[in-house]
Amino acid sequence: MTVSLADLPKGHEFAETTLKLTPEWVAEYVRAAEDEAIGGVPGRAYPPLALAACSIRTLLEQAALPEGAIHVGQELNFSLNSDGEVTLVARARIASRRERQGWVLMGIDLKVATESGKELMSGRATITFPLSGEVSG
Amino acid sequence: MSQQTEQARTYSENDSLPAITKNITQEKIARYAEASGDHNPLHIDPAFAATTQFAGTIAHGMLVLAYVSEMMTAAFGEAWRARGRLKIRFRGAARPGDTVTASGRVVRVEDGKTVCEVECRKTTGDVLISGEAEVRS
Repeated sequence: MTVSLADLPKGHEFAETTLKLTPEWVAEYVRAAEDEAIGGVPGRAYPPLALAACSIRTLLEQAALPEGAIHVGQELNFSLNSDGEVTLVARARIASRRERQGWVLMGIDLKVATESGKELMSGRATITFPLSGEVSG
Repeated sequence: MSQQTEQARTYSENDSLPAITKNITQEKIARYAEASGDHNPLHIDPAFAATTQFAGTIAHGMLVLAYVSEMMTAAFGEAWRARGRLKIRFRGAARPGDTVTASGRVVRVEDGKTVCEVECRKTTGDVLISGEAEVRS
């Protein structure tokens, strides 16, 4: 059974995960996001938000969103190469957790790097959810 | 071709970025859920979503944010992927049937950075996303 983000403390480190950005998945993402601009970038470029979405997906495979969770903020820094990186390593950590008036405000740091350690993306997702939230989905 | 032209352009203070307009549908939300792996019922289960504070399904914040990223790609091309930074807040929810527009304006060019105010609004004027995006030269 997947643990809920609601049960995890500040400082929790998620297991390092390998991401595989296959051309098929990138194409699926581009269709879903209707990104018409990425085709104008030379090389096998993928949208930077695809990497963010992929890292969040791997996070959600390890911890479910509590019921009523809302994504309230996002910070991202990109250092992507011109060519598509096929195999990447994602890390995530609960950087902050505050409780106020029955709600939890949680900041989750996200990092994606190449297998050789070159950082391609870093950032923080901020979510909020009811203190008594149950796992959704 | 226009995207290539935008990529070659140098932006100055107060210049507007090329706006991106999209229509939100439940089908698109479902497609994004599949691609992103975010199957939160708030996005894909109308019966569940009807019981929430939103009284219906809403688009993933990261889907709407992808439109902002598409705008930045159209404006800055590879530089956005290679040296981009984004810091935003999600301020409202996009629902099926909404038309949303991502737009931006250069607020300053300094120290090798082009800093833009970015936002995403519904045609009703409601702000969905606001924040700052930056591209380093």
